[in-house]
Amino acid sequence: MNVRNFSVRRSAAAVVAAVTALTLAACSGGSDAGADKTDGPVTVKVWAWYPSFQKVVDLYNSTHTDIKIEWTNAGAGQDEYTKLQTALKAGKGAPDVVMLEFQELPTYQLTKHLVDMGKYGANDLKSSYVDWAWKQVSQGDKVYAIPVDAGPMAMLYREDLFKQYGLTVPTTWDEYKAQAEKLKTASGGKAFMTDFGGNDGGFMTGLMWQAGSKPYTYDPSNPSTIGVSVNDAGAKQVATYWEGMVNSGLADTKAYGTTDFYNGLGSGKYVTYLAAGWGPGYLASVAKTTSGKWRAAPLPQWTAGANVQGDWGGSSFAVTDQAKNPEVATKVAMDIYGAKNTEAWKIGIDEAYLFPTATPVLESDAFLKKKYDFFGGQTVNDIFVPAYKQISPFAWSPFNSYNFNQLTTGINGAIEKKTSWTAALDTAQANIQQYATQQGFKVQ
Amino acid sequence: MTQVATRSAAAPAVAGPAPRFKRGREAAVGWLFVAPFVVLLVAFLLLPMAYALKLSLYRSTLIEGEHFAFFENYTQAFNDPLVREGVVRVILFGLVQTPVMIGVALLAALLIDHATSRFSRFFRLAAFVPYAVPVVIGTLMWGFLYSKDTGPLSAVLHVDFLSSNVVLASLGNVVTWQWAGYNMIVLYAALQGLPREVYESARIDGAGPAQIAWRIKTPMISSAIVLATLFTILGTLQFFTEPLILQPLNPGSITAHYTPNVYAFNQAFSFQQYNYSAAISFLLGAVVFVGSYVFLFATRKRSAL
Repeated sequence: MNVRNFSVRRSAAAVVAAVTALTLAACSGGSDAGADKTDGPVTVKVWAWYPSFQKVVDLYNSTHTDIKIEWTNAGAGQDEYTKLQTALKAGKGAPDVVMLEFQELPTYQLTKHLVDMGKYGANDLKSSYVDWAWKQVSQGDKVYAIPVDAGPMAMLYREDLFKQYGLTVPTTWDEYKAQAEKLKTASGGKAFMTDFGGNDGGFMTGLMWQAGSKPYTYDPSNPSTIGVSVNDAGAKQVATYWEGMVNSGLADTKAYGTTDFYNGLGSGKYVTYLAAGWGPGYLASVAKTTSGKWRAAPLPQWTAGANVQGDWGGSSFAVTDQAKNPEVATKVAMDIYGAKNTEAWKIGIDEAYLFPTATPVLESDAFLKKKYDFFGGQTVNDIFVPAYKQISPFAWSPFNSYNFNQLTTGINGAIEKKTSWTAALDTAQANIQQYATQQGFKVQ
Repeated sequence: MTQVATRSAAAPAVAGPAPRFKRGREAAVGWLFVAPFVVLLVAFLLLPMAYALKLSLYRSTLIEGEHFAFFENYTQAFNDPLVREGVVRVILFGLVQTPVMIGVALLAALLIDHATSRFSRFFRLAAFVPYAVPVVIGTLMWGFLYSKDTGPLSAVLHVDFLSSNVVLASLGNVVTWQWAGYNMIVLYAALQGLPREVYESARIDGAGPAQIAWRIKTPMISSAIVLATLFTILGTLQFFTEPLILQPLNPGSITAHYTPNVYAFNQAFSFQQYNYSAAISFLLGAVVFVGSYVFLFATRKRSAL
């Protein structure tokens, strides 16, 4: 509530959009001289929110005389997308190269705001990436982004607490639940097996991906037709399982990224953390006091002995249609975290906790044999790298913000009101179908 | 009225074509004086509003592009259960929040007006400080205080302040904390402007401090109370910042359509539905306009506004 701005001007959120667009347009003027043919280096504007990215930019600028990167941190995730959408709609103010998560790519492809980098040689990189990762960013010869990092999943657990409570490392979800029950009794209900972040669409989708869920059938080359099945068997399997875990008090439901969640990771309230490839570094930074006590193990499986995996997060560099010089911009997108750019990747791995998608980096000793003190010297990438290679291709919708919103709203609401999780998925399915129809898609 | 009277009185004194010339120059100077305001008004209020109005009459879909849709967005908003849920919520919120806010502010203003010790000066400042804290920071701070595991309040009261049954009251508490001091200053300033002789004669007639406060002071500052109430009503209808900031802490209880403004924001900036967002915003604007007009009309005898 804001009394100072009581007049009608506050009534129109779109007014903000207009003003922001004006401001962005105003800001963008004057600084784009780099694309002109002057003697100095060509300036390429990059938006990214990777931690320690300044060092990567400095490295790039010190090793290139012809190109200069001008970096802006326009916010992480949705914050950046909000600004990007506004700038793209305004037709001015967007960067040349932008960091986009995999799940956002179809959204920008559909509105034709991404440059096909295949025209500028991006296909040369294809062999450096595993199949599913390359498919996330391309259709045939058309390449819409260069993959940077990914989020194959694994289970991080407190070795000391497992010993203390007499738990064994579970390999299937059934075992995971059995251990959780044992933990509940042993700890007197004080400790939880894990925390289920119902506010994180990427996390839930990762688990559903593992269970074989295919929420969307969508081919960007035939953009007006989409298949929606966010309540398919795989999704419902995951929902039913976690509904049981939560309702029996085996898993907590604190939103990810909140103080209570961090506190739980550090205090021993949660004995496992279902993490993505960037998770080890992230955990080490938010739960410093527990250093040395964690270990990594493969993500539990639905079927004993199987090796099925899902992905949570992952990002790429795309070139926008506002790039003054798409060829140079493509070069930058390909090189910043290029497969051969070991110096940049050293920063990316050691300081930004990125899980590299490029096979040469992935299989380098610097990554594969890296010992993590936080994990008692364990080479945790031994767990993540094989998982990464097992991930199956996956299609996102061109309206992922709405998709994640429906997923999180449904599950969070079910947690809050203790209603059926699978019914929440059915509601999400109906809403998304209606939304897609309104947007002019032929919904299958 | 006075202006007209002065001008008509002055006019006969000047003869011939001079008055017309002078009046023209006068008008030009007048426009010059209001120009900064007019420019800002047009650039930052009227033009964006016109743009938003235009947006709200179009419909843009991902596949079919943009087309003129008349009032389709408005029809959709009227039939959208999520809009309705938000509207009902802010009305409920306003019905409880407004009397609480004005009651607290009035009580505090009357108390510090009555007391003249050094303590009252300190109290005045202390009550006003929350208003000086930016809304975002104040709300984040309350978010920490409300935290179930780490917050000090839950440890004492054993209440989950962010659960869906309690969260609206928790938000109301943040708003009261933030704005009661501001409203108190408005009312206090009005109290300071009252003639002191009235109190004296009331006292001679045998009125106690409580009676003076309730029967003399309060009615005399009714126009200030009406103004503060109006601001509060407008604020509650446009409830936005606090739910938006606290949403990540428990998205299960504070949804993306929690209030109409939050919904409009998410429609535009999360789902790229700029047209629909503009329509919701205009509807809300209309409700706010009508609401404040009705309130002012109902209280016209007291407020003199």
